[in-house]
Amino acid sequence: MSKQVPETIKKQAKRSFNSKEVKQEKNQKRMKLLKEIHEKAYKRAEKYEKEYLEQEQKLVELKQKALKEGSFYREPEPKLAFIIRIRGIVGVPPKPRKILQLLRLRRIYSGVFIRLNKSSLRMLHFIDPYVTWGYPDVETVRALIYKRGHARVNHQRKIIDSNEMIYDKLQKYDIVCMEDLVHEIFTVGKNFKHANSFLWAFKLKPPVGGFSTVKKSFVNKGEHGNREQYINTLVKKMI
Amino acid sequence: MTTQQLRPIVSVFPIKGKVKTIKQVPLPSVFSAPIRPDVVRFVHTNMAKNNRQAHAVSTTAGEQTSATSWGTGRAVARIPRVKGSGTGRSGQAAFGNMCRGGRMYAPKKVWRKWHRKINTNQKRYAVCSAIAATAVTPLVMSRGHRVNKLPELPLVVSDQLQSLTKTRQAVKFLKFIGAYRDVEKVIRTKKTRVGQGKYRNRRHVLRKGPMVVYARNLGIKKAFRNIPGVETASVYTLNLLKLAPGSQMGRFIIWTESAFKLLEDIYGSWEKPSKFKSGFYLPRPVMVNTDVERIIKSDQVQTVLRNRRPRSRKYGKKIQRADPYEDMSVMVKLNPYYKTKLQKQKELEEKNKKERKEIVDKSRKEYEDWLYFSEEEEEEEEEEEEEGSDEDREIEVLSDEN
Repeated sequence: MSKQVPETIKKQAKRSFNSKEVKQEKNQKRMKLLKEIHEKAYKRAEKYEKEYLEQEQKLVELKQKALKEGSFYREPEPKLAFIIRIRGIVGVPPKPRKILQLLRLRRIYSGVFIRLNKSSLRMLHFIDPYVTWGYPDVETVRALIYKRGHARVNHQRKIIDSNEMIYDKLQKYDIVCMEDLVHEIFTVGKNFKHANSFLWAFKLKPPVGGFSTVKKSFVNKGEHGNREQYINTLVKKMI
Repeated sequence: MTTQQLRPIVSVFPIKGKVKTIKQVPLPSVFSAPIRPDVVRFVHTNMAKNNRQAHAVSTTAGEQTSATSWGTGRAVARIPRVKGSGTGRSGQAAFGNMCRGGRMYAPKKVWRKWHRKINTNQKRYAVCSAIAATAVTPLVMSRGHRVNKLPELPLVVSDQLQSLTKTRQAVKFLKFIGAYRDVEKVIRTKKTRVGQGKYRNRRHVLRKGPMVVYARNLGIKKAFRNIPGVETASVYTLNLLKLAPGSQMGRFIIWTESAFKLLEDIYGSWEKPSKFKSGFYLPRPVMVNTDVERIIKSDQVQTVLRNRRPRSRKYGKKIQRADPYEDMSVMVKLNPYYKTKLQKQKELEEKNKKERKEIVDKSRKEYEDWLYFSEEEEEEEEEEEEEGSDEDREIEVLSDEN
């Protein structure tokens, strides 16, 4: 029994976006793109490794040089901070509450990167009792982004599971892979804002081993406020 | 405007002889009016209230006592109690709706609003819908009419029907046209009413049979009057309560030819207003073409649509991936340089280790050499010491004594 194919179905089959050729073409393009991204990712990662190493060495050199001359080397002030909210949402006064919202620290143990300048330092001053913050090093930034990095895609929080995801969103800022993202965040580049807003606020675990007392500042053997480089050890416990 | 029955021509049948088309008549526009069960229901429920008769409870019912409350302190409820003694009624509770023999809660009043006003246009809309539904066979069948044997629906019959005078003639006609099955159903299902209506002069309940709509009554009314279930109506005064009994559309109607033609004048069309209802045009449907699927699949729509968005399998689903610091394949996917980096680190470590080892070995060797030479010197010294040891001691003793 021969069935007559309805005309609408015939017409549908003809339409371009259903045809095999178009699908194949698209697939090929995508594969090509993935390969490109892969190559770029390799090269850039290599470049950045060298860069980080050089930076370290340079710092050491300058310090030694200063010692020799009998003076001291004043390191440049840190540009990047990582803030972790360590107090809950109950009983927070309006001004710190607003600032925490602006910084995307909406729940306890959430963390964000922030560029340090006069304005942001002022903001941090207000929210000191509710957060702990410090200057992360490369490995911390890497661990956070690799292990707990989620992207804001279509108003959704999606784990970054491929460089293609980063390419799609941040290609126009010349950020195409994870290492690019890490570099942009760590060195607070020109497109720090876009790289940072691409990342959803980090959701960390409560620290292994616990806190001493959140009510006191770090300086007073507590936990809140600026803890400079010790943020790195804390993040290791919370990641 | 139902797409299923856009039949512009309707056959007219004779009232006796052979069931075949004697004439063809155009379908009036009313039959393409939108069929709106919601409008019909609304209008019907309100219209049905308009033939109610007022009823109420007597104003004095339950109040014809001089009962007073006994007050507190008598171990009885404070409800008003009938005064006096010498009868069972005395001391009984009175007046309250909860009391036996008391007045009801909110006694019904005659001035309750029994009738309902309905907007004229709504009424007309409902009637147009109901008339349109009488031409839709599935609706008529679902109402319960037995219309299988009819030659056509809507059923239009020659004007000779209007001149029938005898019931016998009317029945003969119904049998001829195939409508008698519906009448038989009515006769068969005549029942005593359930409930108290049976002894309130509403003893029997009948189904609704065919309705005969005429233009001029030349005896037709009386002819069909006594046939159970059959109703007659003038086309000028079609009643929604008869067209959609119980607000259920699809009454089986037998039209006479002139009545059928008059529908065009009485209800008008979308272009021409009604001749009898001033300023009335047929109601317009919300959608003219209700075959949505066909519209969507049509060429005109499909060619203008944007391409279908690809199902983003990339990051559409909630993807769980492993921790890159534990799963190397995930790490390499994100950072292809990672393996090389580890290798280089390893090489560097080994290189440092090697260098350290060399340095350590070198210094250890130096130390051992130094040890070796210093041991030889000591041995030589010790030999020298042993030879001249006694003499030295003697001299020392002598010196001490002195």
